[in-house]
Amino acid sequence: MQIFPPNNGSGRGYQTLEAPAESFEQQPPNNWKGVFNISSYTQYFNVDTDVVINRLISSFHPTAGDFFNKIEANPDLYGLIWITTTLVFMLSCFGNFATYLMQKHTDGTTTWSFDVGYVNVAASGIYGYAIAVPMAFYFLLQYLGSNASLIRFWCMWGYSLSIFMPTAFLLLIPVEFLRWIIILITGTASSCFVALNLRSYIEGGTDLTIIVIAAFLLQMALSIFIKVRFFP
Amino acid sequence: MSNSHSDTIPLHPSSQSDIDEIENLINASVQSGPATVLPARPPSPPRASIPVSSSPFIQSKIPPPPPQSSSSPNHKVPSVPAAPPPPPPVGNSSSIVATGFGPPPNTLTEPVWDTVKRDLSRIVSNLKLVVFPNPYREDPGKALRDWDLWGPFFFIVFLGLTLSWSASVKKILHEFWHSPIMDWELDDLDTLSLRCKSEVFAVAFALLAAGAIILTLNVLLLGGHIIFFQSLSLLGYCLFPLDIGALICLLKDNVIIKMIVVSVTLAWSSWAAYPFMSSAVNPRRKALALYPVFLMYVSVGFLIIAIN
Repeated sequence: MQIFPPNNGSGRGYQTLEAPAESFEQQPPNNWKGVFNISSYTQYFNVDTDVVINRLISSFHPTAGDFFNKIEANPDLYGLIWITTTLVFMLSCFGNFATYLMQKHTDGTTTWSFDVGYVNVAASGIYGYAIAVPMAFYFLLQYLGSNASLIRFWCMWGYSLSIFMPTAFLLLIPVEFLRWIIILITGTASSCFVALNLRSYIEGGTDLTIIVIAAFLLQMALSIFIKVRFFP
Repeated sequence: MSNSHSDTIPLHPSSQSDIDEIENLINASVQSGPATVLPARPPSPPRASIPVSSSPFIQSKIPPPPPQSSSSPNHKVPSVPAAPPPPPPVGNSSSIVATGFGPPPNTLTEPVWDTVKRDLSRIVSNLKLVVFPNPYREDPGKALRDWDLWGPFFFIVFLGLTLSWSASVKKILHEFWHSPIMDWELDDLDTLSLRCKSEVFAVAFALLAAGAIILTLNVLLLGGHIIFFQSLSLLGYCLFPLDIGALICLLKDNVIIKMIVVSVTLAWSSWAAYPFMSSAVNPRRKALALYPVFLMYVSVGFLIIAIN
């Protein structure tokens, strides 16, 4: 709570590239007060509304590849948590609605029924993906000798999912062909975002290319899973 | 006389009559003697109602009082000089008893119905403070000084039960309609009903209870200043409009009416939650704190429309 004024004073200084490393390296020893102290985690939620909106907008530019530069000084977990939560809600609600629309399209006599199971699947799938995959890549990179930051990975993967929010709305269109096009475009964009940012982050040798490709394929798999499971 | 009485039957239910008896004695002595005798008497009523804690007092006080109490009604003149020595210790003990054990006897000995009534009236007054327009609404610190978790608990459970009840009815009809085999056993229906009910109730309850905790943590993590349980209480009370909406939706079966009702109650809930959530955080982060609240209420509203 006391770290508020300094960052406020510098305005949006933490978005720029000047001396990000030192300011972040200084923070953890000062602010870490134990695992169960909430104030230990405020450093990961130290963002203002305009910062979050800025990051959301940049997550819609898949080919820029400079997302890690933007979050370098101040990676946040707010985006990860609330983007995934919004996505879980949207998938379970629009998924039910889309299923109803498709059945109505073919059958006509279908009555509305809400399948609560969608919420469970969406929650376990999205939260599991957003937490486990960055963690796996973090440990993999640590194992391969490249130094990575788990918080930054979580932040980047969390914002990479934000493009699925408008997609979930567009997938309501009850035309199967159009739906596949939409989800493939979205999946490609999101995967490119992840892969390009990851490549610029590790900027390593040829042996790390396989990791970038794996990240790309995982993100594509997630988008196809969303299409197949929630918008059949 | 009175002390020996309370010693022999400390836990007897008729202790109330003892107190009356003692009070009568006090009144008699007050009328007859000077006012300095009065402090010597009051310790006995609490002693009668909490015998365990006050028994040491009685043991230590036995020697002086009996002559005094027995003498005071009979001989008026000797009681006046006898009273001054005891007052200092007795006065102290009476103040200790009054401060330390004063309030508990009131709530411990009252009927259960009084306790329930007091809690209910507090829920109603808190509800008025949070959900309905009033002068304290813009000052969230004042609004819920004595928060309670009974109100939120009732509202969450009520919403969960409303949703799960209508879900079970709807789901059975749906399955019945679509089943190719029409010879349903009664056991199947019961199992299906129970399964839907528990599933919907679990999702609704988890969403609401965990949601309130997570929203509070979110404000704390954003650097806001908020009291944890007070915030839980406020978020729970803000569910009240949606409770009403769910109840109306349960009774009406028109989709248009449902949507209108849910939109109105959703706006009402958000309006109720807005002032204290926005004042808890820095103005630059207001939207970040409010968006999750809005998301939770929208998802509850969607559940109401979708399940009912």
